[in-house]
Amino acid sequence: MEKAKISITQLFVLILLFEQGDSMLLPLAMEVKQDSWISILLSTIGGVLLFLVYYRLYRYFPNVLPTDYFQKIVGKVLGKGLAFLYILYFVYFSARLLRSFGEILGIFVYPFTPLIFINIFMVIVVVYTVRKGIEVLSRTAELLFIVLLFLSVTGLILVSSSGLINIHNLTPVLENGISPILKNVFTETLYIPFGELIVFTMIFPYLNSSKKVKSIGVVSVILSGMNLAFGAALNIGVLGTHLASRYQFPLLTTMQSIQILQFLERLDVYFLIALIIGCFFKIALFFYAAVIGISDLFKIREPSQVSYPLGFVVLFLSIQMASSYSEQLQEELKILPLAIQLPFQVIIPILLLIIAFFKNKKNH
Amino acid sequence: MKCKTFFLSLMISSILFITGCWSQKELNDLAIVSAFAIDKNESEKNKGRYEVTLQVINPGNVAGSLQGGGGQTPPISTYTSTANTILIASRELSKKVSRKRYYAHTNLVVISEKLAREEGITRVLDAIERSPEFRTTAQIVIAHNAKAADIVKILTPIDKISSNDVIKTIKFTEDIWGEVVKVNLQDVIRALVTPGKEPVITGFRILGSKDKGSKLENIQDTKPSGNIDANGIAIFKEGKLIGWFHNKTSRGVSWILNKIKTTAVAVDWEEEKEAIVYNVIRQKTKVKADMEKGSPVISIHTEVEGDIGEVNTSIKLSDRDTLFKIEKSFEKEIKEEIKQAVKQAKKNQSDIFGFGEKVYRANPTEWKNLEQDWNEVHFPKAKIRVSVEAFVRRTGLTKESYISDLENK
Repeated sequence: MEKAKISITQLFVLILLFEQGDSMLLPLAMEVKQDSWISILLSTIGGVLLFLVYYRLYRYFPNVLPTDYFQKIVGKVLGKGLAFLYILYFVYFSARLLRSFGEILGIFVYPFTPLIFINIFMVIVVVYTVRKGIEVLSRTAELLFIVLLFLSVTGLILVSSSGLINIHNLTPVLENGISPILKNVFTETLYIPFGELIVFTMIFPYLNSSKKVKSIGVVSVILSGMNLAFGAALNIGVLGTHLASRYQFPLLTTMQSIQILQFLERLDVYFLIALIIGCFFKIALFFYAAVIGISDLFKIREPSQVSYPLGFVVLFLSIQMASSYSEQLQEELKILPLAIQLPFQVIIPILLLIIAFFKNKKNH
Repeated sequence: MKCKTFFLSLMISSILFITGCWSQKELNDLAIVSAFAIDKNESEKNKGRYEVTLQVINPGNVAGSLQGGGGQTPPISTYTSTANTILIASRELSKKVSRKRYYAHTNLVVISEKLAREEGITRVLDAIERSPEFRTTAQIVIAHNAKAADIVKILTPIDKISSNDVIKTIKFTEDIWGEVVKVNLQDVIRALVTPGKEPVITGFRILGSKDKGSKLENIQDTKPSGNIDANGIAIFKEGKLIGWFHNKTSRGVSWILNKIKTTAVAVDWEEEKEAIVYNVIRQKTKVKADMEKGSPVISIHTEVEGDIGEVNTSIKLSDRDTLFKIEKSFEKEIKEEIKQAVKQAKKNQSDIFGFGEKVYRANPTEWKNLEQDWNEVHFPKAKIRVSVEAFVRRTGLTKESYISDLENK
């Protein structure tokens, strides 16, 4: 663990940026068409519950990293094994996000630039920030959050004033009943992006006070859930279900549809800035969790020593993990949620919490 | 210290890369495409299904003609190529154009009537929608009774680039008259894929000679010998053009789609034909779908507000009750236009108004039974209620027309 402290405001901002990440830009919960916003709102409830699980674990061991308290909960050998698996999980998902980031840029603005070059530049920035530590990352988050907020507000004003939103596109509500939505929640939206909050268990020990973490955390999860639901509803309102579910990046097409007064148009740059800021924080937080986990598990005194080699690992993993964007998306949305996200984000933390609860009871 | 120098040099060197030299395009290497025309190939010799014609801007000449000089060469040039797919055809054009074609400013797509009738528009739009360079906000028109290539070849006098001419014509005609609909690529694709809705696209035709229209002399004449004008709305069914709506019928479409901003409506008064003209200032049309005894009922309600714009007969406009009577006759006339459009669409068995979509949104369960043969059976049978409320708010600068004085003499 590095010697650093972050404030509760910074945690709030980090959670919002992390949740928005790439989820705002990709078609989220489009399987349930016009009810996608309901699916996202429902999964927000699940997200809050998961957040409380992670928070409880933190409260049991407020001053140590999960890689440490796994060993206290389930014993040294098993705990170390588990910690190592989690580190792999963090590395893998930072690589996966890096790939998504590169692919989105490649599809949309840099069709002739090889993927690896886009990814290299992102990795350089991420490694540099993570080397500087969590404090720098959090302060950057505070700064860029204002930029993103400004973009969202002006973007919303532009979309609504261009008269593109057709609220009727959201009807009929619950066309096929609630069951497809629940299915969608438990196979997709609960894990991406809400279950990914697991990464914050690696951040909690750096908080300068443990007061208000619960309330602020829950509020930020709910806010980001509402934000995502609103984004999904906006895309469907502008594009209609058929187009929104068929476009790779509905938000991009929504922004491109804006035409006001013959000159306010082609606002793709809004999408680009949101993409770069959101993906940067998501990659950086996963990457930071991996770096700090490795240095904690293998007793490396300077966490920054790990970041360069790990940067290379993430870079090459991101290139290697899929042969096409379709494969990447299919893995991310169809295979991984149940194969990896479910055990790592839900099952293991809950089991650990139950064990910790009983151990704690015995001690008292 | 060493570390700092290393980072400084790293950052400075990355500036070199992030300037975007990777896929740099110099402005004088770009051929800015302003319009994209798609035809069906008719000749036997040139095998291939599609003929793609690009309208490319000659930058120097556009600027030159604005300053009054120039004009020695036309502001646009067109290039044609033939292939089985749109993308291959447009790529192959690089053999004919000296520069790299740049589609980000293409704001008009013209499709020929022949292609739309025989093969439909479903196959030609994918390449355009998929490309990151091409904008989905590009507008679509159909070349009525003409080749799409000929439409983009015409030189137009006021707006030098004819794609701008087409776009502005649509925009202002929609603003002050109706009878045309401004649709872009996104709208067309949305209407194609949405069950219970069919696309409508404005048609453009060539007036006069197409050969003379593409010559520079065309714009040096006060009355261009070849010109283009918006002409009717093309009606589609399952992606294929099946008919045209003109005049009042096409304005009926504009009313129902709530696309009218302002327009003018003439009505008869007593013996006089088209004696009073209604200047519509604003209107709002709402379409609602209900189910009554298992069959769909569509109600169209239009609220119109406006002034009296022209009077050709002796009539007492300062009298309130007369105005009420006039309002009634306006209502009747607008209702007639709407009903005519509905009747035509029913005859064509194509739900261009999106009534089916309204039924689906209001009654998703019943819609499942209707969806299968909505266009053929249920839409033509559907009961459609039209109600119009017209208000005359003002009568312009005069009260009674001077015609009243003349007649009373």
